[in-house]
Amino acid sequence: MMDRARVAIRLGARKVTRRFGPVVANDQIDLAVAPGTIHAIVGGNGAGKSTLMRILQGVDQPDEGSVILDDAPVRLTGPADAFARGIGMVHQEFMLAPNLTLLENLILAREPVGRGGLIDWRVAQAEADRLAALAGVALDWRVKVADAPVHQRQILEILRLLYRGADVLILDEPTAVLAPAQVTELIALMRRLKAEGRTILFISHKLDEVMSVADVITVIRVGRVVATTTPAQTDKAQLAQLMVGEAVAMAKVAPYSRPPGAPLFSARGLVARDGRGLKRLGPIDLDIFAGEIVGIAGVAGNGQDELVASAAGLGAIAEGAISFGGRDFTRAPASRFRAAGISYLSADRSEEGLCLTASISDNFIAGREQESPFSRGGFLRLKMINAGAENALAKLSVRYGRLTDAVRSLSGGNQQRVAIARELERGPRLLVAAQPTRGVDIVGIAFIHEQIAAFRDRGGAVLLVSEELEEILTLSDRIVGLYGGQVTGQLLRSEASVEKVGRLMLGQKAA
Amino acid sequence: MIDPFIQAALLMTTPILLAAIGGLVNRIGGLVNIGLESMMLAGALVAVEVSAATGSVIAALAAAALIGGLIGLSMSLVVTRLQANEIIVGLGFSVAVAGLVRFVLKSAYGVSGTFNPPGVAMLPRINIPFVSDIPVLGAILSGQDGLTWFAWAMVPATAFLLHRTRAGLRLRATGAAEATVRAVGLSPLSIRDASTVFAGAMAGLAGAHLSIGVVGLFNEGITGGRGFIALAAFYFGRSAPWRTALGALLFGLFDAAQIRLQGHGAPAELVQMLPYLIVIIVLTGLGLADRSRVSERALS
Repeated sequence: MMDRARVAIRLGARKVTRRFGPVVANDQIDLAVAPGTIHAIVGGNGAGKSTLMRILQGVDQPDEGSVILDDAPVRLTGPADAFARGIGMVHQEFMLAPNLTLLENLILAREPVGRGGLIDWRVAQAEADRLAALAGVALDWRVKVADAPVHQRQILEILRLLYRGADVLILDEPTAVLAPAQVTELIALMRRLKAEGRTILFISHKLDEVMSVADVITVIRVGRVVATTTPAQTDKAQLAQLMVGEAVAMAKVAPYSRPPGAPLFSARGLVARDGRGLKRLGPIDLDIFAGEIVGIAGVAGNGQDELVASAAGLGAIAEGAISFGGRDFTRAPASRFRAAGISYLSADRSEEGLCLTASISDNFIAGREQESPFSRGGFLRLKMINAGAENALAKLSVRYGRLTDAVRSLSGGNQQRVAIARELERGPRLLVAAQPTRGVDIVGIAFIHEQIAAFRDRGGAVLLVSEELEEILTLSDRIVGLYGGQVTGQLLRSEASVEKVGRLMLGQKAA
Repeated sequence: MIDPFIQAALLMTTPILLAAIGGLVNRIGGLVNIGLESMMLAGALVAVEVSAATGSVIAALAAAALIGGLIGLSMSLVVTRLQANEIIVGLGFSVAVAGLVRFVLKSAYGVSGTFNPPGVAMLPRINIPFVSDIPVLGAILSGQDGLTWFAWAMVPATAFLLHRTRAGLRLRATGAAEATVRAVGLSPLSIRDASTVFAGAMAGLAGAHLSIGVVGLFNEGITGGRGFIALAAFYFGRSAPWRTALGALLFGLFDAAQIRLQGHGAPAELVQMLPYLIVIIVLTGLGLADRSRVSERALS
């Protein structure tokens, strides 16, 4: 690593261009990551970050230009080649074997072997302890990855890169799955690695983190580098503007007053289990009034999925009662939930929210195919369906070719708008929105937030579940913390701050 | 009275156990081997051929393992490299090899159904002096053939190797997280292929045990679906070697009981079906018991 400190560019790109048909995903991209620095890349959806990462990993080849390693152009043949040159990447989808322990995952493919060809577990454990000490973390190495919390899995991924000898770490949106305190931990780890002489390329769209940890920031928009700057030379507002190319209108915050009357949705002593029969939620009480947005703040896997399934009528609840509009809905089938006016925006767009291979118009009427005016006498009325879909999609500014195109052909943000159009167009009274802006860029997020806020202003009730703290803080009238399936506290928006909500997410008291 | 029964039960267990251990390793590597039956059948035929031709049991076993491994390799390549469905391919191999065997019998030896060449060397039984005189224990330990000892030795050996060796660790990772194995620079498909070759070789030995260990000839129905019973055994065992052995033993016990019943005038065809039926009933019962235990744990 000593001689590498003398090069100017440890990892970079020179005039990298990559086209997919008429689309230019990367357009003359220049990138220079100096050794021993933390370099951030920021950009919205479709900015070309993923394409650039694929090229830097050797998964994809540039049409023009080249990847630079140690000041010299190279042609990478794949991740293994990149790794042999010291470049390791932590993907958003972790590359860990869930059935193996943390220690087994660490040594996989580089197992220390002792007498008789057997794995030398003592050497392995000593190495693991050394890395954990270096990273300043405590891990229980005997736990299976499937049972380890998300932030530990992420640390394991990073330690495994170190174990296998990488000195450049590419981290792809590493904080997306973490609670605020864990983000702080990760940032501290990044700083320690940098102090040790390692180089980090950090992809993110969370500007706070980028501003706090990066030495250099490269902003990418529609495939081009629009700025290379440092935190000292810029600020969050300017970065946001560079990312989207226009001033971003933040959703307006209306003063909150508790709506009068009885709650529209009410859960009492609600207990729910996951697919394996393990208790994940409850017992909890939750009320949602017409005309308010209740945001559920929590790190993934703390009962949100079960709460959403219970509120949307999708999961059989184990104990407790649910009422809606004053009537008992405990153990009612999903069809009754929907008929009563509960809409559901799924977090899993590709599997549950939409049918990607079906057409846009089919997706638009899914669940309403028996309603007039879309059907008569058991036959679909295509004219009415198309007119309805066109009208609703225009309202949400969905960009699409033809209504008969498969939903798959749309971008993530436009797919989500189709799902929202379907769920709001049926005139619901309660919208259960799970991760409504996952995988959507800044412009799309602001737009979706406006739609949800407008629905609330029309008197709708919203149950909002999101891992994005900013989203919860922007939209919610009331914020409920969920940790280990229990309600940890409640805050009105006027009382809420990142720190307070962060504490709720980690099971501590808000005060 | 009980001793011959124990001896018979263990004898009937061996081929199931051999194939089940192979299938278990294969499944941990990420491939459910429906084709065990075909590898067993080919192993049974080749063992008789080589044993009759050379008079050497060792050569017969090696040839049986080799043909099983080769069939395993070709099946694996179709699944891993051509991305064919493993269930369809496995069933296809079972049907195709059965047809091929019939063809070989007819064209090479001019017989149909049964192939009984002279001079077949049988697997020798290992009698242990003094121990053989002890009731029950003697029946268990003495008078077994080498493949039976090998099959049971493979049970703890498999458990040990899976957890203590490089190959074992990589195999476990391959079955559960193929992308991860690729990401750390290994070839998951090659690892999977190797596990199928192992399963094929074990199934080949299982076939050899049926032909030169039990009856001394080859019959096209000699495997009698034991490859599928082995499948049931390692599913029942949830890929744990000892539990898998228990599943194999269960079938061996009922198979031995079935042979006894036939001697008492019960209709043979009906009685022969019994072990299969009982295995299904026992596996279903145990499956249900497991399920209620899981939900009990969830409730507490």
